[in-house]
Amino acid sequence: MNEKQKNIRNFSIIAHIDHGKSTLADRILEYSNAVTKREMEEQLLDNMDLEKERGITIKARAVRIDYKHKDGQEYVLNLIDTPGHVDFNYEVSRSLNACEGALLVVDSTQGIEAQTLANAYLAVDCDLEIVPVINKIDLPSADVDRVRGEIEDVIGIVAEDCPAVSAKVGLNIDQVLDAIVEKIPCPQGDENKPLKCLIFDSHYNAYLGVVVYVRVIDGVLKPGDKIKLMNTGAQYEVVEVGYLNAFGLQKADKLSAGEVGYITASIKTVSETRVGDTVTTVENGADEPLQGFKEALPMVFSGIYPADGARYNDLRDALEKLKLNDAALSFEPETSIALGFGFRCGFLGLLHMEIIQERLEREFNLDLITTAPSVIYKVEKTNGETIMVDNPSNYPPTDTIKTAYEPTVNASIITPTEYVGGIMDLCQDRRGIFKDMKYLDSTRVELHYLMPLNEIVYDFFDALKSRSKGYASLDYELAGYEPSNLVKLDFLLNGEVVDALTFIVHSEKAYTRARKIAEKLKENISRQLFEIPIQAAIGSKVIARETVRALRKDVLAKCYGGDITRKKKLLEKQKEGKKKMRRLGSVEVTPEAFMAVLKLDDND
Amino acid sequence: MKNLGLYIHIPFCVKKCDYCDFYSLCHNYELEVEYINALCSHIKAEAHLYKDYNFDTIFIGGGTPSVLNLESFEKLVNCIKKHLKLTQGGEFTIEANPGTLSREKLECYRKNGINRLSIGLQSTSNKELAVLGRIHTFDEFGESYYLARECGFDNISVDIMYGLPNQALDDFKKTLDHVCEFNPEHISAYCLKIEENTPFGKRQDSLSLPSDEEEYEMYMTLCSILNKKGWSQYEISNFSKENRRSNHNLKYWQSEEYIGFGPSAHSFFNGKRYFYSKDIKQYIKQANNGNVVRISEDEEGKTHIDKMDEYVLLKLRLSDGISPAEFEQRFGKSFLSEYPNIEKYIKSDHVSIKNGFYSFTPKGFFVSNYILTDILHF
Repeated sequence: MNEKQKNIRNFSIIAHIDHGKSTLADRILEYSNAVTKREMEEQLLDNMDLEKERGITIKARAVRIDYKHKDGQEYVLNLIDTPGHVDFNYEVSRSLNACEGALLVVDSTQGIEAQTLANAYLAVDCDLEIVPVINKIDLPSADVDRVRGEIEDVIGIVAEDCPAVSAKVGLNIDQVLDAIVEKIPCPQGDENKPLKCLIFDSHYNAYLGVVVYVRVIDGVLKPGDKIKLMNTGAQYEVVEVGYLNAFGLQKADKLSAGEVGYITASIKTVSETRVGDTVTTVENGADEPLQGFKEALPMVFSGIYPADGARYNDLRDALEKLKLNDAALSFEPETSIALGFGFRCGFLGLLHMEIIQERLEREFNLDLITTAPSVIYKVEKTNGETIMVDNPSNYPPTDTIKTAYEPTVNASIITPTEYVGGIMDLCQDRRGIFKDMKYLDSTRVELHYLMPLNEIVYDFFDALKSRSKGYASLDYELAGYEPSNLVKLDFLLNGEVVDALTFIVHSEKAYTRARKIAEKLKENISRQLFEIPIQAAIGSKVIARETVRALRKDVLAKCYGGDITRKKKLLEKQKEGKKKMRRLGSVEVTPEAFMAVLKLDDND
Repeated sequence: MKNLGLYIHIPFCVKKCDYCDFYSLCHNYELEVEYINALCSHIKAEAHLYKDYNFDTIFIGGGTPSVLNLESFEKLVNCIKKHLKLTQGGEFTIEANPGTLSREKLECYRKNGINRLSIGLQSTSNKELAVLGRIHTFDEFGESYYLARECGFDNISVDIMYGLPNQALDDFKKTLDHVCEFNPEHISAYCLKIEENTPFGKRQDSLSLPSDEEEYEMYMTLCSILNKKGWSQYEISNFSKENRRSNHNLKYWQSEEYIGFGPSAHSFFNGKRYFYSKDIKQYIKQANNGNVVRISEDEEGKTHIDKMDEYVLLKLRLSDGISPAEFEQRFGKSFLSEYPNIEKYIKSDHVSIKNGFYSFTPKGFFVSNYILTDILHF
């Protein structure tokens, strides 16, 4: 091992949402003079507007910091930021794999939360040295000792002398930097071995093509090297390598074992450079890729349609642009009788879905109609064929199904004890199978459930928050497919099936769901000149029915000289409202109707 | 010589009714005198604009024009006669409320050429009248009505309302029957509409109003009973004996021209729509200074299509409906190719064709806004 690696520290910061991860990152950059306060844009690492608004980090970024330690030596600290949400677990794990250590930030007023644990376990899985950092000690409700105890008891790591800081006011940040240098081990790579780099992120740049963020495990990488991505087999010639400093890319001659930096190689889309893939040289390359590569698989699907059919091409262009920077987003054209031309889009999870929808609407100025999110069902048919169904309308007829399977997740919920009852009811209601319950301390409990993913994708998170006054936290990971008694629930308006409303539901819940959705639809369909029956049906069997009564009165009874212009304006306004309606066969429906069926609060 | 309608707004009432959102103030004599003087100055100042026109209909509306003192009334009528050309035998209407009429007044109206009286009754149930905030009882209406007959009025219109708080279909039928017994020449029947900024609007939630379905039943009953008893419907809310339609109001629906005087009065003159602001003090001031400000209602760049739409939406208020031939003559376009959607409402019995005229059926009238938004261009 060379001398250079001895003074490198590669680390991540992990935390539950809102525990202050990004603020701490800012302070570290500031304290080590990677950026001055004046240059500092608040939370530099989160550089998408949406992230700032939601206070979460969506895409990982990395920053190289030069730091002079009190021992007199110069150190290179590579901070690899991680996405902070359950949807991006895999990406988090790849970022962690690029490190030797992690700062585990815990809010001293909150203590350990679901994502604190999930992230800590991920870090343990990656053999990282975990350095707890207790944050927000400036707040009156801070309880540093309790949180220290909790970290030791629950996670099982020593927290006795860990830094207690306030990232917000910049208190004790020096202790954090000291801990990074002193506690986190240096990289142990070998420059003379064949090249192995771990891709932990990438982004698309209009001038450079894809910029690939890597951690060099072994070997050396230089411009001009012919490289190969071991999982996809794609080959490129390296154009440029360098480091990532606080303000962008800084060119270098080479990247060697232990270092973190970037590569450009005229790569066109980020989907070619998958997170977790291994970069090696074409000649004398490594034999085996690094372990743990997974393709980012969408788990949640939804149909996205332009509210104005004429903007289909704009929607496609927008999705293509987003896809440049988001390998996990998938989309393919889909046609709905009800909604026209659109796309079936796949997302890592609900948050990912919401972010994409919001970006489409905000950055591309599109009005969208989205169908209820669905998961991928696996269906073994009686003819021996097995199919995967990501669009409920394509679910095969019951008599052709031998066994149907649905994806499940291991859900971990941390909540103050007083809400346990309500949350257990909720999980029960959502077909959760209770695994265990652990007291983190006398006031908080961790619950484990095996739950069908399709029960989570609707409004589980909202329901959880409302039943715990916002205190419960959730984390989940995919736990494979389980056989399930599923049925396809169709909705008919005026006798015609509306494909965009079809969804898959467990047979036991079909009746309640059907009734609720029929009621919601009734509220969202304005009266028309004829009576509109709303039916929910499994196959040909109608299981719920509502009726939108015919419009009887819509008239301006009095209209004289003074009212003519006023009447015209009223009619114009009415017509505007009508233009926004979607025509489903003979029935006009507000775009909100499709959304209304998504939110079904069980407390109603 | 072209014809014009004349509207005079009298914004005074003894007391404002709880549902009414027309511009009207509590009556006081000083203001009345001031206002009539201002009105007369305004009419006089503008008279030259109308020298090429015959006024074949005059409508004095309100408010309650019958609260005017006879002196003021005669001053106004004399001014109109002096400065504007009136068609011999033209329709001359005044609106009146029971409780404000006397033999002296009615005789004075007759003497001054008023040949049509429009009386606001609204309901024959004293309970309903009280709920509406009316100042009169059913009996008082009867007295005024017979008095008017005695004074020689042979063209009387009666206003009634339905869809009132706590009103059931049978209640409305009673009002309808009672009114028919009086045998007026004309009946206007309006569905109560709750307007914001009225006492009803403010306590809307506590009013127990009939449902849309019940109101629909009342409307259908209204149309069929009156039709059976000899009043034929000629507009959404208007019914008359033969040759007793309101010629003045017909001008509004047939896109014919009219001018209005007074605060909040609207005009349609030389193809332009305008009105005066709803502020009597300001109106009086401006009229006395010789410059009443016209506020235009026409949007910039009013197109041919806008004019067609306006014509269609007004004409379809009438039971006679639209003659495609007349439409084509007026606009140079085929009615059906401009408004093809109208045809689908024939099958559902919302629209009918009689002698080539397209018109709403009573059922269609009651959802006419909905259908218009489908067939008009906008």
